[in-house]
Amino acid sequence: MKQENSKQMPSQSDAGRKLQKALPHAFLLSVPQWIGVLAVFLALVLFLPSAWEAWESFDPELNYRVPYETSQDYWQYERHLKQRTQGSDIFFVGDSVVWGEYVTADATWSAFLNEQAAGEYQFVNLALNGLYPLALEGLVRHYGSDLRQGKVMLHCNLLWMSSPSADLSQSKEQVFNHPTLVPQFRVSIPSYRATLDTRLGRAIGHQWSFLAWVRHLQIQYWEQKDPYAWTLADNGKYPPAYPNSYTMPWSVVDGRLISEPERDPDRGLQSTRHKPWSEEGVGTQRFDWVPLNDSLQWQAFQRLCQLLQERGNDLIVVLGPFNQHIMTVDNRAKFKAIENEVKQWLESLLHCLQRPKLLDSSLYGDASHPLTQGYRQLAESLWNDSDFKEWLAVPK
Amino acid sequence: MLFHTWTFLIFFPIVFLGYLAFKKTSLRVPWLLAASYVFYGSWNPFYLLLIIYSTALDYWVVAWMEACGSSKSAHSSSRRWASLLQWRSPVRSLRVAAWIGRVGLLLSLGLGLMGPAGSQAVACLLGVLSLTMMFAASMQSRKAWLWVSMINNLSFLLYFKYADFFIENANQLFVRLGFNIQWPEAATLMPFGWEYLLPVGISFYTFQSMSYTLDFYFGKLPREKKFLNFATYVAFFPQLVAGPIERAASLLPQFEKAPRIRIKDITDGASLFLIGLFKKLALANYLSYYVERVYGMPDEFGGAALALATLAFAWQIYFDFSGYTDMARGIALMMGYKLMLNFNRPYLATSLGDFWSRWHISLSTWFRDYVYIPLGGNRHGAKKAYLYLGITFLLSAVWHGAAWTFIIWGLLHAVGTMATRELESQAWYHDRVPIALKRLFVFLFVSFAWIFFRAETVSDAWLIVSRIAGSAWTDPAMPLLMMGLIVSMWAYQWLQETRFRIWTEAAWFKVMGAVFMLIWLCFFSSSGGAFIYFQF
Repeated sequence: MKQENSKQMPSQSDAGRKLQKALPHAFLLSVPQWIGVLAVFLALVLFLPSAWEAWESFDPELNYRVPYETSQDYWQYERHLKQRTQGSDIFFVGDSVVWGEYVTADATWSAFLNEQAAGEYQFVNLALNGLYPLALEGLVRHYGSDLRQGKVMLHCNLLWMSSPSADLSQSKEQVFNHPTLVPQFRVSIPSYRATLDTRLGRAIGHQWSFLAWVRHLQIQYWEQKDPYAWTLADNGKYPPAYPNSYTMPWSVVDGRLISEPERDPDRGLQSTRHKPWSEEGVGTQRFDWVPLNDSLQWQAFQRLCQLLQERGNDLIVVLGPFNQHIMTVDNRAKFKAIENEVKQWLESLLHCLQRPKLLDSSLYGDASHPLTQGYRQLAESLWNDSDFKEWLAVPK
Repeated sequence: MLFHTWTFLIFFPIVFLGYLAFKKTSLRVPWLLAASYVFYGSWNPFYLLLIIYSTALDYWVVAWMEACGSSKSAHSSSRRWASLLQWRSPVRSLRVAAWIGRVGLLLSLGLGLMGPAGSQAVACLLGVLSLTMMFAASMQSRKAWLWVSMINNLSFLLYFKYADFFIENANQLFVRLGFNIQWPEAATLMPFGWEYLLPVGISFYTFQSMSYTLDFYFGKLPREKKFLNFATYVAFFPQLVAGPIERAASLLPQFEKAPRIRIKDITDGASLFLIGLFKKLALANYLSYYVERVYGMPDEFGGAALALATLAFAWQIYFDFSGYTDMARGIALMMGYKLMLNFNRPYLATSLGDFWSRWHISLSTWFRDYVYIPLGGNRHGAKKAYLYLGITFLLSAVWHGAAWTFIIWGLLHAVGTMATRELESQAWYHDRVPIALKRLFVFLFVSFAWIFFRAETVSDAWLIVSRIAGSAWTDPAMPLLMMGLIVSMWAYQWLQETRFRIWTEAAWFKVMGAVFMLIWLCFFSSSGGAFIYFQF
């Protein structure tokens, strides 16, 4: 009777026998086979990104900046940096103020400096849109290893200390740009509530450039998605259409990188966003300045300065100019105090600190971003500064 | 903590290295137990209370069962009845058990009379359990002790998995019958304001623990004297939350002494882990996106999309569950423990009976051994065998969850199994119908049944069936890549059961296959996604 039953469903011993029987036929690798797998895999991991670099053409112009759409392509950032390590290059590192939030690539601070320098020096825009000191520190630490023994200009934007929210020190969870770049374990960031697994993944991802390269492909060719999600993506309309369903992901990899649009509707003189802050009708604001001792962004900026110096760079910090016109009068005293504190610390660390003069109110697009003419004036004043010239002249 | 997360990839090497360090010491099993509790507690530390309680109770129940057995011959039936009246047992350990029962009874009375609102149900259950314990101890009844274990284990399952279903249906019935009664939601019965959450994997470890009690009761295995060994058997982290549901007779002896770990165990284990990881991340998760898109709004998609989503779900659930099992077996194997095969290319089955001998083998054999055969199996003729088969499938369906969709799914499989069994007994079907056709038929039938398993509600399921049959077959927009993957996996499995299998056993094929999987995972792995069977 039991035998009859076992025809219906196998017994435990049947299952055990099946296990024994099934194992030899399963996809099981021996020691030499695993060694082979690891050897081939490692070779591919090491070789593929380099081979890709050779295949995918990238010849950045003088005023190249990483396009807004590809801001999270850190592999591309690193690649840009690697290509720009000539003796005459001056690296301008910073957030969207250096990148040029409201202006086109040829109207950024570094672009006007290049205009002034007329080939004597080449100022490289090494900023990314959406950065802030906590992320900038991560970017330089993990993807800026070639930023050593060079001449580096670092911009300090006090906007990031202008409120607990901007400082990421408020306990409420926030969604912010470049979360992969902030310290995952070393610093406790109250606004950052990623799970342990996410943090681990991000920390491991920084150590393995192959994954950054994979992300580069996803950003450049698959609309910032993994290829699976790309094949399933809809067109955002109702009823939805699925334009990529019948296209294989690899068929769109043509080696052409995303570049800045010819006529960017969000940037440049033609853009509706390119206008003085006062025309937005927001009026003056009170900022809830975070004391520097408590500021996570300021601490990150301090670590960044030290890191750049430890790497043997000749560092200069450009402080501001923050748009003080946007502040209420009673709020300015607090700002001045913080600015002085920043200045004192930087002076104790650096040989050269630049503090450009406050621009006219109409040359700011918001609290910290200048407009085209503002960048031109900043570049001119910097170029005409004797300390700055002296710093440039010191060979590295 | 999921196997395919970075956390686990950090956790496991630590556990493994510690395990190797303690392997030949008395800390080996405690280390495994601690790792298992950390693994399980990472979901919710409160779950640990439940599993520790269940483990302790089953361990002591079997100990008391053994005590009954040893004193059976020494005490006559009349003396046992007398001891019941006196509320005392002649055996010391049973006297302790009776005292525990009395304390439990007092506690239940206290909780029922003075406890916070909602604690009455717990008090009632505790009272029943305590009384059964007192009865079992006084009567020295092995069967009563078995009841203690069953009441305890099944009440937790009933409460956490089925209470809402029963209450909802009962309340609907009360309304229809015109009674002015409405039972409160199950969540309101949680004492002390605790959150009502389904403990992950409760069905798996409960069945595993129950199998130990049942096997001891039926005399199939001796009592495990070491509590830590038993606790590790119940909570062994590779298979704790989604099986395979291991039998005590198979796994407990493996904890008795340090297993020998050969290099082959590590390489085989790593291979299984890689395959499982690939199945989950590269295949199941991808398919799940399409299935969710279509099944999420079945009335917005045509017949072709619904049919393809159904086929996609068939493969999704297979890759998801068998992927988990592969990883579980791989992890255990690296530590020298052998877990049973749980899936054996089920979509190549030629009959429904064959399908169930290939799909979730550890569960189907559990139901066969503890439900189907004890009910009578094939011993009382074909009609009763089919009745028992129906009951077994019904219980198996309910095990998956309390919903009418699961019940219909189970009944469909019961009918399908009976039908293919009858067909197989006919010579024309058995001998003349090509195997490929039988496989196709079984796959299509199983896929059809999955509609009820996957749909949110019965009405959704009917809608899907009717739209597959009746609506226009418009562009399904299933990615070409997805179709390619499904066809490739099917072809690979088919190859495994033919003489061409030898191709897939070549060293170059395996090496290239593994490299392909690793690279593919880097490019294509879709992040996140818990395993489907965690909800059961």
